[in-house]
Amino acid sequence: MLTPGLGMDVPRHKPLVMVETTNNRGFTPDEIAQHCVNKIISVSDNAHPAIRDQARAFSSQIQKVLASHMQEAVRNDRITVYNALKDAGHPQLAELIRRL
Amino acid sequence: MAFDGNFMCTSFKKELLEAKHNFLATGGHQFKLALYNNDASFDADTTAYTSTNEVGNTGTYEAGGGDLTNVNPTTSGTTAFTDFDAAADLEFTDATITAYGALIYNSTTSGNPAVLVLDFDGAKTSTNGTFKIIMPTDDANSAIIRIETPVAP
Repeated sequence: MLTPGLGMDVPRHKPLVMVETTNNRGFTPDEIAQHCVNKIISVSDNAHPAIRDQARAFSSQIQKVLASHMQEAVRNDRITVYNALKDAGHPQLAELIRRL
Repeated sequence: MAFDGNFMCTSFKKELLEAKHNFLATGGHQFKLALYNNDASFDADTTAYTSTNEVGNTGTYEAGGGDLTNVNPTTSGTTAFTDFDAAADLEFTDATITAYGALIYNSTTSGNPAVLVLDFDGAKTSTNGTFKIIMPTDDANSAIIRIETPVAP
């Protein structure tokens, strides 16, 4: 009698991972917030429409909150770097950082 | 040659039965992901990491690729699965890279045995920027390594 074996092959022509890239910059807080939300919340296309819509609305709201706080973190970190550079005697470099 | 799809390496399946791979988050092996240009020719017969046709050192990318973070294997129903990078994806910064695919391999086990060939479905390019690989959701339907019971005929 034949028995079915365990399967562990992967779909050959369906991307298994996503790749995102940037040119001449890093990811923006908005982009990182989107990556973050995608990790936290996943919404099935097969979910009940009412639940799916609610989940997507929640996801969108969380994305905005995350982006806002990430922008705040960047601003605060720049203030820290600005002061460190200024204290080290590099006021012009500090000013460049502050204006980014 | 070129990338022509994703493959679970056949040698990896055999090595699983020989206990040569450990995916535990604590005390498990170190798995890595290396990036390749389109001259790489990997398939299910690929057995180990190679530096041939790997993208060059750039930014935070160095030969051999980046470290993946293991996620403890678990089960759901009759499916056992594991994934990498539950919280943070692998990324290379300040990097100028054009890659068509990747190889996941075990850098702890002797010989750097291959696990999985990933086809990016075309060129992915970063220029003095960030190259980020986003792993699938760690669940029974999407995790990158799953052992499933086929539906009975």
